[in-house]
Amino acid sequence: MPTPTAAPASRPRQLLALLPGTLLLFGIGLAGKLLESLGYTLRARHIYFPHIEYVLWAIILGLLISNVFTVPEIFRPGVATYELWLKLGIVLVGAKFVLGDVLHIGGMSLVLVFIELALSLTVMTFLGKFFGLPPKLTSLLAIGSSICGVTAIMAAQGAIEPDEEDTSTAIAAILTLGALALFTFPAIGHALHMGQQSYGIWTGLAVDNTAEATVTGALYGDVAGRYAVLAKTARSAFIGFVVLGYAIYWASQGKAAIVKNKPLFLWQKFPKFILGFVAISILATVGFFTAGQLTSLSNLSKWAFLPAFAGVGLRTQLRDLVNQGWRPILVGVLGEIFIALLTLGMVFAVYHHGGMQ
Amino acid sequence: MSPRFEATKAVTHLKLAFNADAAAIAIALAFAALIRLNVIHHIGW
Repeated sequence: MPTPTAAPASRPRQLLALLPGTLLLFGIGLAGKLLESLGYTLRARHIYFPHIEYVLWAIILGLLISNVFTVPEIFRPGVATYELWLKLGIVLVGAKFVLGDVLHIGGMSLVLVFIELALSLTVMTFLGKFFGLPPKLTSLLAIGSSICGVTAIMAAQGAIEPDEEDTSTAIAAILTLGALALFTFPAIGHALHMGQQSYGIWTGLAVDNTAEATVTGALYGDVAGRYAVLAKTARSAFIGFVVLGYAIYWASQGKAAIVKNKPLFLWQKFPKFILGFVAISILATVGFFTAGQLTSLSNLSKWAFLPAFAGVGLRTQLRDLVNQGWRPILVGVLGEIFIALLTLGMVFAVYHHGGMQ
Repeated sequence: MSPRFEATKAVTHLKLAFNADAAAIAIALAFAALIRLNVIHHIGW
């Protein structure tokens, strides 16, 4: 007897389902901002309160909620909108960059990204073989850690046809490493007395997920956050080329479908929100907005990032640290240390020997 | 063997039913237009 299937929800009902989780994201983000303000007020009256910025408060609150309690099912669809708020924030950050900066720093980032990609893909592949990981899991870890984390892994999933378990392991490893970056990168940046711009470029080049890269940058300061977004955006632009390369390789091994229309494949994998970022940057460059209007757009970007930061905390499951097996995480950690050191060296070469600030 | 698949249960649930890129660009351009036309005068932080 055929099993009855549930009818797909109507569009208004789908949108309504987003409401609880979206409100939760904004609620956590606002609570983080309020706690930061409360801290300023209390410290001004010489009452002790931890000196923590709203970005970290939002992440801590998100982490507490998702790890101490179980987020009820009703919130899950809306929590997924953190991706929308993150991309909206990135598009609006374009208002803070004139096109010349985008071309100059973005172009420089592209060169650094190219070097980072070539070396990190090679090292991750070697590490995967050395520790005996399944070949496709190695490919997924290499793609995820060298380009843009979960997005790249999901893009590769359809192209190289890995086991579902390999995909989930790679995603869990990348999310775990992203969570570790949140707490280690700002400490390293402060220890090395890095400037806002150089630190931002470094995190954009080294941290895998766009969300974690943005947060890791913002934890160091607003300017660092913006440059992290710029460098990360340049890195994300490579996603189609790398996934296509792996798809062609696995197809040549007879273990994935052949890519027939390569230009269409590249367009499908290209992160389209980058076009919005460039469009807003062009409008800012040609004087379409007044200085006050640009400030408003920049502030709107911060409001959009607020729920995205909360989402990073909410989706991070600390128990996954111990649930995924030691070999993928060891390969990931070693690979990430290599990528962090490589990109740090490149950034220092550019900013200290290249005469930039 | 450890339960590796459990790790991404949350991730697979966190999938949007619409195109976030297109929505983000549309919302950003709509706000940009409203700010440019002075329908929204100021957004503070």
